[in-house]
Amino acid sequence: MTPTDPPPLSLRDLQLQLMRMIVAPTGVAEAIAEEPALAANGLGAIVRGDDRLSARERVEIYANAYFYRLLDVLKEDYPLTFTALGSDRFHNLITSYLLEFPPTEPSIFFAGRHLADFLRTYPAAVERPWLPELAGFERAMLEAFHAADATPLDASALRSTPPAEWPGWSMRLAPAVRLLMGDWAVHETAGPNPAVILPDPPRSTPAAIAIWRRDGDVLFRGLEPPEAAGLARAAGAQGARFEEICAAVAAKIANPGDAVESINRMLARWLADGLLIELDR
Amino acid sequence: MERAEFPFLGYGAGLRRPHYAEVAGGRPRMDWFEIVSENFMVAGGPALKTLERVRANYPVVMHGVSLSIGSTDPLDRDYLRQLAELARRIEPAWISDHLCWTGAAGRNLHDLMPMPFTEETVAYTAGRLRTAQDILGRRIAIENVSSYLTYTASSMAEWEFVAAVADAADCAILLDINNIYVNAFNHRFDPYAYVDAIPRERVVQFHLAGHSDYGTYLLDSHDHPICDGVWELFDYAVGRFGEASTLIEWDDRIPPFATLAAAADESRSRARAVLSRRVRSRAEGATR
Repeated sequence: MTPTDPPPLSLRDLQLQLMRMIVAPTGVAEAIAEEPALAANGLGAIVRGDDRLSARERVEIYANAYFYRLLDVLKEDYPLTFTALGSDRFHNLITSYLLEFPPTEPSIFFAGRHLADFLRTYPAAVERPWLPELAGFERAMLEAFHAADATPLDASALRSTPPAEWPGWSMRLAPAVRLLMGDWAVHETAGPNPAVILPDPPRSTPAAIAIWRRDGDVLFRGLEPPEAAGLARAAGAQGARFEEICAAVAAKIANPGDAVESINRMLARWLADGLLIELDR
Repeated sequence: MERAEFPFLGYGAGLRRPHYAEVAGGRPRMDWFEIVSENFMVAGGPALKTLERVRANYPVVMHGVSLSIGSTDPLDRDYLRQLAELARRIEPAWISDHLCWTGAAGRNLHDLMPMPFTEETVAYTAGRLRTAQDILGRRIAIENVSSYLTYTASSMAEWEFVAAVADAADCAILLDINNIYVNAFNHRFDPYAYVDAIPRERVVQFHLAGHSDYGTYLLDSHDHPICDGVWELFDYAVGRFGEASTLIEWDDRIPPFATLAAAADESRSRARAVLSRRVRSRAEGATR
């Protein structure tokens, strides 16, 4: 090292400097200009270039890989949001999103976990106010896929429990169940298989959606208010006693005479779909 | 290093989503599988069930991408805890990751960034590797990464760095033949000299993969068949290191499983041919 050479960077500084260049949304060249040390000494102070590729071009390979890897993952995780926005707007969305929510977790699965929240204040969502709920729906589908396994309550458990014990029976939603309450029927924009994407924007209507996993497949359906109220009562780690769930359902049924039949019908479906697990009795 | 910790598994392939059903349900012919550990570090669901079914029929190696052993952030102990938990669940033949950093200051680039090759980074990285091995309670294998840049600060060759870190950490080496080939082009060195410089006793596994040629550089894209140059370098590596567990990586534009099986078969045939030539030449030498 000659007296005029800059002192060698610490490994920490080297990593931070390189990272800032790689994630810069305006490109490596502008990022270099914004680094005082690099602006003075050139990128060659930390990265070697040659006649084939300059130092900047070498860093750009990583910068492009960073962005397009995440873009591809998020396209795959949010196919409805991608279709709704189109390729260019989705590209811009992800550019902005990654600035505010860069990946922090070891698994790339978590890279898109804040997208629905981010969309609540994102300009393109002003014209498409349903976009945050659509992205939230897609995220919930992903989370349901990877959620913890659990043995659901089934009809045989019901049959083996004396009816007198049913009111005090504690249960809660299975870990893979997600309940979404919103103002748009976003689930109607996806076909039964979410890979089938329908072109129309979602209806503006209060909507409750249940998402769950059965035999490895993630399924969903819209809920009427009584069913949504019953399942919402069973949400959370504490769950609820069966009588509390029934009361929540009954409170939303216009004709009290229909309550018992409705609850029986709902319970049969919840058990068939594996939506509930038993808490310790 | 005790070689028994890394038994010879044969010729395998990376387990990727398009093949889950075929592998878990059909038990196709393949000696072993390697998984990307992070893809299975989830609470539950079909992916883990598939893995358990695959594990019931095949040896499995856990290959991670986020250990970030060269990062200047503290070692992610929560990540290591999850890794250990997955290892308890599926009992892999071994665990491997990359000799690189993947992020700093709490951010993850989800890329395998090369290290500066210096005495300081050898000591630093080896120290963290020893800690990681202590936490996991086992020796791990560390892989040489593909790269597109070198640092001005580097004061040794890549192969010297890989060998020095493995020695100082007393860990095994997963030698990626395609990465050597790609780096040899990108950084203009002799790939055969690289292979010659890696300590024989530490190499426990080979990776083979395809890459993309962008003219001014080769990209380790894992989306093409293995090229002749990589096959020839593999032959040379087998000649030097002997038969080691060999794995075909294919991560993008993933072909039918039969294509992976054919590549694994070719790696087996080539390795056996190299070894049989070696035995023949030894025998001829003895009778001369």
